[in-house]
Amino acid sequence: MFRDKIDLTGAVVFIAVMAILPVVFKNDYLIGVLTVAAIYAIWAVSWDLMSGLTGRENFGHALFIGAGAYTAGFLNTVWGFSGWWSIPAAMIVASLFAVLMGFPTLRLKGPYFALAMLSASVIMQRLMLIFWEYTGGEEGINGVEPLIDSQLSFYYFTLATLVIVTAGLLAVARSNWGLILRAIRGDEATCQAAGLDITFYKIASLVISGAIAGAGGAIYAHYQLQVSPALFEVVTSITVITMVYVGGMASIYGPVGGAILLVLLTELLRDFGEWRLMIYSVVLILILFFLPRGFIAPVWQRFKGSLGRSSS
Amino acid sequence: MIEILIQGAVSSAIYAMLAVGFTLIFGVARIINLAHGSFYALGAYGAYFLTSQGMPLVPAALLSILAVAAFGVVMERIFVRPMRTQSLLAVLMITLAVALAVEQGLFLTFGSEYRNVPALVSTKFTIAGVDVAGQRLLTLVAGVVLIGALWLFIQRTRMGSAILAISQDPVAAQYMGIPSDRIFALVMALSAGLAAAAGILAGPFLTVQPTMWLLPIIKAFAIVVVGGLGSIPGSILAALMLGYAETIVAYLISTSWTEIISVLATLLMLVFRPAGIFGKRAAF
Amino acid sequence: MRGATVLQVANLTKRFGGLVAVNDVSFDVRTGEIVGVLGPNGAGKTTLYNLLTGFIPPDEGTIRFMGGELRGMAPHKIVRLGVSRTFQLCRPFVGMTVLENVLVGCLAQPVPPQGREARARELVEQVGLAGKEGLAVEVMSYGDQRRLEIARALATGPKLLLLDEPFAGLGSGEIADLSALIRRIHTESGLTVMLIEHKLHEFMKLVDRVIALDFGELIADDVPERIVTHPRVVEAYIGGAAPDPQEEA
Repeated sequence: MFRDKIDLTGAVVFIAVMAILPVVFKNDYLIGVLTVAAIYAIWAVSWDLMSGLTGRENFGHALFIGAGAYTAGFLNTVWGFSGWWSIPAAMIVASLFAVLMGFPTLRLKGPYFALAMLSASVIMQRLMLIFWEYTGGEEGINGVEPLIDSQLSFYYFTLATLVIVTAGLLAVARSNWGLILRAIRGDEATCQAAGLDITFYKIASLVISGAIAGAGGAIYAHYQLQVSPALFEVVTSITVITMVYVGGMASIYGPVGGAILLVLLTELLRDFGEWRLMIYSVVLILILFFLPRGFIAPVWQRFKGSLGRSSS
Repeated sequence: MIEILIQGAVSSAIYAMLAVGFTLIFGVARIINLAHGSFYALGAYGAYFLTSQGMPLVPAALLSILAVAAFGVVMERIFVRPMRTQSLLAVLMITLAVALAVEQGLFLTFGSEYRNVPALVSTKFTIAGVDVAGQRLLTLVAGVVLIGALWLFIQRTRMGSAILAISQDPVAAQYMGIPSDRIFALVMALSAGLAAAAGILAGPFLTVQPTMWLLPIIKAFAIVVVGGLGSIPGSILAALMLGYAETIVAYLISTSWTEIISVLATLLMLVFRPAGIFGKRAAF
Repeated sequence: MRGATVLQVANLTKRFGGLVAVNDVSFDVRTGEIVGVLGPNGAGKTTLYNLLTGFIPPDEGTIRFMGGELRGMAPHKIVRLGVSRTFQLCRPFVGMTVLENVLVGCLAQPVPPQGREARARELVEQVGLAGKEGLAVEVMSYGDQRRLEIARALATGPKLLLLDEPFAGLGSGEIADLSALIRRIHTESGLTVMLIEHKLHEFMKLVDRVIALDFGELIADDVPERIVTHPRVVEAYIGGAAPDPQEEA
């Protein structure tokens, strides 16, 4: 799974740092920020598997995030299930959405898929508002129980989830599955001519992407203790995409860095809270222009390269 | 019934103004400009801002349209053109980013409360026994006039033929010495201006807030897909279909459902009709 | 007589709006043959391939491969049955190496994972690209890209190989090499091959039999020597003068 020892060392160091930070700083606020960053990282990594590898960019990832969060919200507040049921339930619901949306739209070319997903997430947002009697409308669902009472434990749980998800998706990306997804990006007709059922692979990776994003949504719901229709907004999707771009498309590990970087950045600028989304859009524009391959992954590769040279 | 007829026409006119510009840009430059809705928003906000500074409405409206047209040209030149060498998806991404940046810019400057764009015509008219706000009628009339003028321009003038040539075959057009860069700029300006005009006309009776760009662009995209990318008559027809569908739903069911229905219709159109009804080419 | 019929096409027809691209075409291909498909541009040759490989559905007619009906099957299923094709314009998987490109072709086969890489390397060598496994496809020469295409098509383990203008864009030296490669593959693995080409010189040397198309219709089905003097072929090609097998078309 890891190409070499340097990657493995880097991962271990990263996990160690992330685990130790809250212990060193003993600051509830910091723990909160890191938890949110980890959740965004889960969303970003899941997006990268599908859209980063196949090049079929999904502008409506918020659909899966919101679906997961609302599933968690309903299960917990309306039907009284404990939070631990939320995650698998969220994954199932998000997967259903992925299949529902994937079948008709993945056979279409490029921008159609992107915009169809965008439309779907907007529809869900509106539906949440229209059926306000059931969904709480603008206010959303409140009073969701925390998954784990201790802030610190919740953080470690989220971090562990992130590590498992990233490791798992890295394994997928480096396997034949990943090879096929990259081939789909290269040329779909040729892929079919090689005997591969591309529709299956596209939909399956959308399902994986959606399920994980949904799980992240459920975790988010049990962290914020509320679910709002804003989760379905375009802005959520764009934020996640920006994180992936910053991290480096198709690298899987890059988006983790991208998410953490951007969440920390906006926290540092929290005095300019209103500017948060403006900053994201500017960052996205800058990245598209100057660093289309991203920042985190290329830097890491460069770093590895320089290590190799200096050690020989 | 008459109400539906008239209001449907008004909605269709607004959508047509947006869709025609959108399809024109695609036909000529082959780009899907997700920031097209931003032109609509900027037009409305421009008029609001200038009139709130004391400028009379008509000059404010014209100035706003010109400013947005210029913005469109600049935006294409600075943001979109460099992305074209990368991929269609990169263009899509950057226009989305610009749209979000514009939304946030409007939010930071004007806040998120609904703003008021003054109406050019405040009187109410009575047509066939039905009361219709003058502004809505003006929107309908202006829409027809502007689109008609655009159509004539394209069909009857030399510039217009150049535009047609480029949409048919960009490479061949270049070999004929047609300056595609200047034509792009012209088309961009016309489309942006048209969208801004729609925003100014509709502003008085539709909501003006920073996120007003999103739904129009989703609908415009669907309209253009159904009507056939690059086809102006197609866009007009599809705009009529969507405008009336929405209006009928609004009158028969409820207004909160109109947004859903139209975005749902968008989704269905995207899924089932990517080749378009009239378009000579499927989009991609 | 070569052997059993591996492909039987009957009354195959495809219309695009008002245009009849393939018009009531019928022919057989027998095991181990190399059959050439000849015809001027727009004659319907690539459309024929697209029909045979399931990329577009026929309006009428049947396609029987090894006794089974191909019509209505999805492209990837047809590949798994044993029909592979190359494309007129080389379309390698950009962003991946030569070996990875061929590896993708191996994935559809019931070869165990360990065996796949070995098989991919074998194929790379077979088409003469040994030593270039790690190259990114974007930097390869056109001739090498063609070899890669063939390697990838072979990776799927076909019984029938459809080549679409493999010599297009190549110089005469490269054409001779590629032609020798095709001959060698055909002899070594007993593949049945169909070949669309314009370059008549090499074409005629390579094929056992030629089917000629014009405006979607099958106008001739014969051995190369007789095709060049066939009146309808002559008329279609140059409208008068016989296509000179000594000339490059």
